[in-house]
Amino acid sequence: MSLSFNLLKTSEKSLRLGRLTLIKNQEQNILLDTPNCLAYTSRGCVPHLTPDNLQAIPLIDAVSVTLEHFIDIQPPPSTQFPGGIHKFLNFEGYLVFFDVRDSGKLKSVSYNTDKYVSIYTCHGVRQITSDSYIKYMNIYKPDIFASLADKITDETPSLKRIKKSVDRTLKWLDNALSNEGIQVFGVLTGHNNQEERIRSAQETAKRNVAGFVLNGNFLENTSRERINMLKSSLDHLPSTKPRLAYGLGTPEDIILGVSEGIDLFDTAYSVKMTDAGHAFIFSLDLKNDLDSSKQQQQTINLWDTNFRNDVQPLLIGCQCYSCQNHTRAYIHHLLNAHEMLATVLLMSHNLYHYTNFFKTIRESINQNTFFQKAEQFFKVYGEQKMEETKNSTIIYN
Amino acid sequence: MKSALTWKIIAKCSTTKARVGKLTLPHGPVDTPVFMPVGTQGTLKGLTTKQLEELNCQIMLNNTYHLGLSPGQELIEELGGSHKFQNWNRNLLTDSGGFQMVSLLKLARITEEGVEFQSPRDGSIMLLTPEHSMSLQNSIGADIIMQLDDVVSSLTTGPRVEEAMHRSIRWLDRCINSHKKPETQNLFAIIQGGLDIDLRKKCIEEMVKRDTPGYAIGGLSGGEEKDVFWRIVSLSTDLLPKSKPIYCMGVGYAEDLVVCSALGVDMYDCVFPTRTARFGNAITSKGSLNLKSTKFAQDFEPIEKDCNCLTCKKYTRAYIHMHATRETVGCHLITLHNVSYQLRLMNSIRQAILNDNFPSFIQQFFKELFGGKDNYPIWAVNALKSVNIELLP
Repeated sequence: MSLSFNLLKTSEKSLRLGRLTLIKNQEQNILLDTPNCLAYTSRGCVPHLTPDNLQAIPLIDAVSVTLEHFIDIQPPPSTQFPGGIHKFLNFEGYLVFFDVRDSGKLKSVSYNTDKYVSIYTCHGVRQITSDSYIKYMNIYKPDIFASLADKITDETPSLKRIKKSVDRTLKWLDNALSNEGIQVFGVLTGHNNQEERIRSAQETAKRNVAGFVLNGNFLENTSRERINMLKSSLDHLPSTKPRLAYGLGTPEDIILGVSEGIDLFDTAYSVKMTDAGHAFIFSLDLKNDLDSSKQQQQTINLWDTNFRNDVQPLLIGCQCYSCQNHTRAYIHHLLNAHEMLATVLLMSHNLYHYTNFFKTIRESINQNTFFQKAEQFFKVYGEQKMEETKNSTIIYN
Repeated sequence: MKSALTWKIIAKCSTTKARVGKLTLPHGPVDTPVFMPVGTQGTLKGLTTKQLEELNCQIMLNNTYHLGLSPGQELIEELGGSHKFQNWNRNLLTDSGGFQMVSLLKLARITEEGVEFQSPRDGSIMLLTPEHSMSLQNSIGADIIMQLDDVVSSLTTGPRVEEAMHRSIRWLDRCINSHKKPETQNLFAIIQGGLDIDLRKKCIEEMVKRDTPGYAIGGLSGGEEKDVFWRIVSLSTDLLPKSKPIYCMGVGYAEDLVVCSALGVDMYDCVFPTRTARFGNAITSKGSLNLKSTKFAQDFEPIEKDCNCLTCKKYTRAYIHMHATRETVGCHLITLHNVSYQLRLMNSIRQAILNDNFPSFIQQFFKELFGGKDNYPIWAVNALKSVNIELLP
């Protein structure tokens, strides 16, 4: 098995087009063109989607899986399965990326120490050490895993705390790299401290990692502020290795992140919007005749009673299963009736749309129109703060 | 009365009263005996219509009461009816709405005019009449629609049962008279009469005179003794015309489907397979598995080895255990399997009747499900004996 990353195109700025090539064996290899996204999973499944519905979204090639979801029972039953994690989760055709904590619901659980990281499972708090993590990875055999990291979840950490986090994370990275056989992405830390971010980036870059993981959660509020914080790390990374970032989910986040050279994102945002009853309608290919003085919507909220008799698809022209088969009126009804098909159809559309958004980004980089399109995007949509989504959890009958 | 269906018996069992039929409805063929899964609110519990088609589901139910509340009659008519609304191009059956009034609502009161109930929306008193039920069902547009009947609990005794039976006949007449689309929608009568053989006979006699396109056996599956239940079913299939499909309402446990098919029933519906899936229970030919139980945490077998549904081909019990009642996907996977199980069972029943080896199929089926003679439910033993089948030890 081998993993390689090639830059297909770079620009004078940080913008880049890349390709991650995973050769699994003589019969199977997976190509992941970047910028791209890893499908977020919860307990090893893409939320709401059975495998046939997932397969109907052709642009998904990689999934991100979280150890936190698997170790509520000790020993974890999944570690007893003989065929590896790809087979257990029915992700045999996908690149499987593993990390310790859930990037979509990263929350403070308990303190970390020099020995372990505290994680949250549905049976309570558990501790994971660098050694036990590596042991699990050797059993699961994902294609790539992120090294164990001392992520800071406090709002205003002291400098001492930030330094400790950088030191521990580097130490655990060295331990992970001493294990052979599975590719390791190094996790960058440093929180909101410029110097520590640089130190973390420089030290990680010295090591034999296959890529880097950055965390945009807990940083500033707007897309630009968050990206600027990550930039202090990105500036110190070699251009030849892929960079994955969490916490950048909105279209603005992605456009700005791509501009600064981030290659991989996750899809936690599309799950969050799905659960809130929203469907994506944003686009990078905006027509020139759009009235840019009027701010356009990026999503529609299917709870809105205006959709009760709307027989259009979620997005006209969309080729996804939902849009080819169902109307806004029907999905509005399903939400109101607390029927599970609502989130199946919304997730199908949102992931289809999200992965296509990445495709149009790649095409625009290839055609040298990315910055022009990005400018138009911000003009039309404004710099929207992450829309307050209706925080209602859907209750199913 | 007018009929929008054709019904052809293709094979008959030479031992029991079972038969295989081809029912042709406005939205395509239905092979009988058939189990119809229940998509109460215009959707079958998380499954897409594509998944249902791939399972070879030819007909499903919608509930009139629920669709009448949301999206509501006006809107569903504006949107072109229920098939179009949910993008289901195969057949649909709707109930009358009366059963939900009585079972879901506390303040239901039955008068000659109809079923009076308190609106769950604003608490006002509303009335569901046979005319109103027909009008709702005409708007929804299902291929088979049901008369409004006077439903009494199968445990009720005394004059109320007789009153309900007579009223159901009067309401059938009102339904026939107010049914606006007999050329595209088939109205089925519902036989009432409780557990009283004479009342059932009387009801059948009167309803058969109305010559509806099919007949349903109602007022059962309400907690009555199973040994009485099967006798009423068997009496009904004996007395109803052989040229019409017979639908036993609310039946869905595997052994009930097998026994009732042997007694000559053609159609069934039940929420059981989809409801039990939401509690983490998978149906198998050896009984139900509660996949929430930790005993499946390390079980790397599929739910059923010889099942060809997507769930069994792709996932282990251990995987589903991780998701059961935690992730919607866990529920979807079990629902998919359970519906697949029911449809597969009906297909095996039809094949056995076609090959004229239904008796040995039944013997094998009971042995596998119950393990042996000591565990056979006595009602099933009696029912099968009545159609010349002795179960294996």
